[in-house]
Amino acid sequence: MAKVLELGKSIDEGVRALLRFLLESGKIKGVLTLTKISRDDDVAYSLITNSELVEDTVPLYPLMPSNTAKLLTRLTLLEPMTEPIAAVVKPCELRGFIELIKLNQGSLENILFISSTCGGVYSLKTAEKGNVGEKLPQYWESIKKMEVPPDVRPTCKGCKYFLPYSADITVDLIGKEYNGKKCEILINTQKGEEFISGMEGELKEVEIPTEYIDSYRNKRLAEREKIFNEIRVEKFGLEELINIFGKCIGCHGCRTVCPICYCKLCYFDSRESDYKPINFETELERKDGMRIPPDTILYQIVRLTHISTSCVGCGMCSDICPVDIPLSIIFSMMGESVQGMFEYVPGKNVEEKMPLITFKTEEFVELEL
Amino acid sequence: MKGAKILVDNNREEVILEFLKKGLDRTCFDAILIPLKVPSEDSFAYVLLKNPSLLDRASALPPVMPVQGAKALYSLTKQGKFKQKVAIVMRPCEIRAGIELYKLKQTELENIFLISIDCPGVLPLSDYIKDPEKGTDAFKETVVQWGSEFTRPVCKICTRFSMVASDLHIGLLGAEDRNIFLIPRSEKGENLLESLDISLENDMESWVTKVKELQEERKKKREQEHKGLKSKIEGPDKFLETFSKCINCHNCMRVCPICYCRECYFDSDAMKLYPENYLMRAKNKGGLRFPPDTLLFHLGRMSHMVFSCVSCGTCEDACPVSIPIAQVFALVADNAQELFHYVPGENIEEPHPLATYKEEEFRDIEMPYVETYTKKEMKDG
Repeated sequence: MAKVLELGKSIDEGVRALLRFLLESGKIKGVLTLTKISRDDDVAYSLITNSELVEDTVPLYPLMPSNTAKLLTRLTLLEPMTEPIAAVVKPCELRGFIELIKLNQGSLENILFISSTCGGVYSLKTAEKGNVGEKLPQYWESIKKMEVPPDVRPTCKGCKYFLPYSADITVDLIGKEYNGKKCEILINTQKGEEFISGMEGELKEVEIPTEYIDSYRNKRLAEREKIFNEIRVEKFGLEELINIFGKCIGCHGCRTVCPICYCKLCYFDSRESDYKPINFETELERKDGMRIPPDTILYQIVRLTHISTSCVGCGMCSDICPVDIPLSIIFSMMGESVQGMFEYVPGKNVEEKMPLITFKTEEFVELEL
Repeated sequence: MKGAKILVDNNREEVILEFLKKGLDRTCFDAILIPLKVPSEDSFAYVLLKNPSLLDRASALPPVMPVQGAKALYSLTKQGKFKQKVAIVMRPCEIRAGIELYKLKQTELENIFLISIDCPGVLPLSDYIKDPEKGTDAFKETVVQWGSEFTRPVCKICTRFSMVASDLHIGLLGAEDRNIFLIPRSEKGENLLESLDISLENDMESWVTKVKELQEERKKKREQEHKGLKSKIEGPDKFLETFSKCINCHNCMRVCPICYCRECYFDSDAMKLYPENYLMRAKNKGGLRFPPDTLLFHLGRMSHMVFSCVSCGTCEDACPVSIPIAQVFALVADNAQELFHYVPGENIEEPHPLATYKEEEFRDIEMPYVETYTKKEMKDG
């Protein structure tokens, strides 16, 4: 049984009404959410403190200019929020932030998490020239019909974690009419209940039918298999690695946008990666030629090694790549494989320790012996 | 001006690579840094090579610029001078950026042999990668017409596509398809041609004339484009709109050859605030875009590097949301450089404007300020 607050408004209006209520009641001092910021329908995250500006927000817009986990760590790295705020996040963004919490990169204190059952986001390239605005009707239609919208990020199409863990409040989208007359808000935690109390609406206790979730998940799993089969990471040898990462230009954009990559100074920017002329000259003795700047594939493999236990499959990396390497698919696949070995779901439970900091003597003995 | 006219049997690319092979064979240089086609055949990457057979995959004038050549030179020499002699084949903007980095003490040029080549422009990287075959054809047309609709926007208005401060320049303009010109630009260049038994018996007049003609055309076009662009981005509102899509990925900064800081100021702790500071800033206006300081990053980066900006356009290729960043920076760069009558990378002896102080400079900006404050001081007693 789940606690649901039903608002007699469209989902679009209902979410904004919720944010307005939270701000006006003084229960929160600010809300971090997507906002329209230009005439071209460009959206960006904003920390809104004035309830009148809620009008410009588009909290459930299917675009992810940054992974909010990065924004939340920016806010709370030095110390926890001193005043309560709400953050409207997609499930993978919340999972990313939970992983960062485990890595001591932020704090959950004084943040009310509002999430949604997620239909996916469009890639940044789609957002050029107001294209997302044009696609919106089709997007919400797909969501209502419980179909996977055709041109969202591949990692979204194949995402099996579209139900948020750890959210205090979840707006139910899957299978619902976005511009209809009903907005169902699931209240998951006591904190959520405290913050939402006083808001006008009908409080209900509902049984969430699991079959509709399962059938939707199956659609996503089918897409996932299709997408993963196109790349076949498990067949990667050195030759295929060179083939797929050969055009990487070493911009490290994937690292900058990744919620999990938090190192202040990445190994590949450090002095450790600075080669002296003697290093190049020695290498040239061994081989006929050497790529400059070096370590293109090493960077990718090291990043895979460092983050795959925490990869939440948000897809920011593919979006940012100037040479269209299907990074998010490769990293998600590696992530799934490694996480499976440890039976670990990144960001599911903040109490669950990360695999890389736990040691069990009776683990992978078959590799050891 | 004297140079050498080399007859071309097959194609010009082959002749250039033959010349480089000869240089390696006769140990005029010990290694070459030149773009090679990557194994997946949809891009190029700089490779430092000793083995001349690798030159079979090389291109002196590839259709794309995935990594700005000056960044490759920086990677090679940032930790010191090379003991071996390396010949580096790059486009004029890459050479110029390399020289700027030398002035900023980030590259070493001893034992480095800079070879430049006339450049018609490059294709945007993502366009080429989507369809390398189509891209190759588009680039062929670009070489024939010396420019095309297919190139980076800043390439279309480039006035510095030739005649740079390299050691040796490969001239393609003013020569028909059956020729290329080898023009020494320094004593090193002259010595190289001598050691390869290439005599400087030809007049480079046709090259000089053609280059000047095209430069005049491009100057007019650049002026026109910049005038149009200025009206589109002038003023805080329009400028903000230009950057409204920016997601603060900093790709532009990272691919820029001039941006060499190990830790960018805008990634540093200086920009990280306590939560109550962010909330306070948000309360000031009712809302704060997050992450904040998008415009500060661009204006800050601009103020740091714009005197060395060579308008290569690599930043725009790397922008995931198609902001015309190179065009904006090129416009500001032209104006800023003009204030100091400075052309980045043109003359290695010329000190960087930010590293020079002249007392009698910008008095017209200084004096009104002095007058106002002198008056105020006298009033306050």
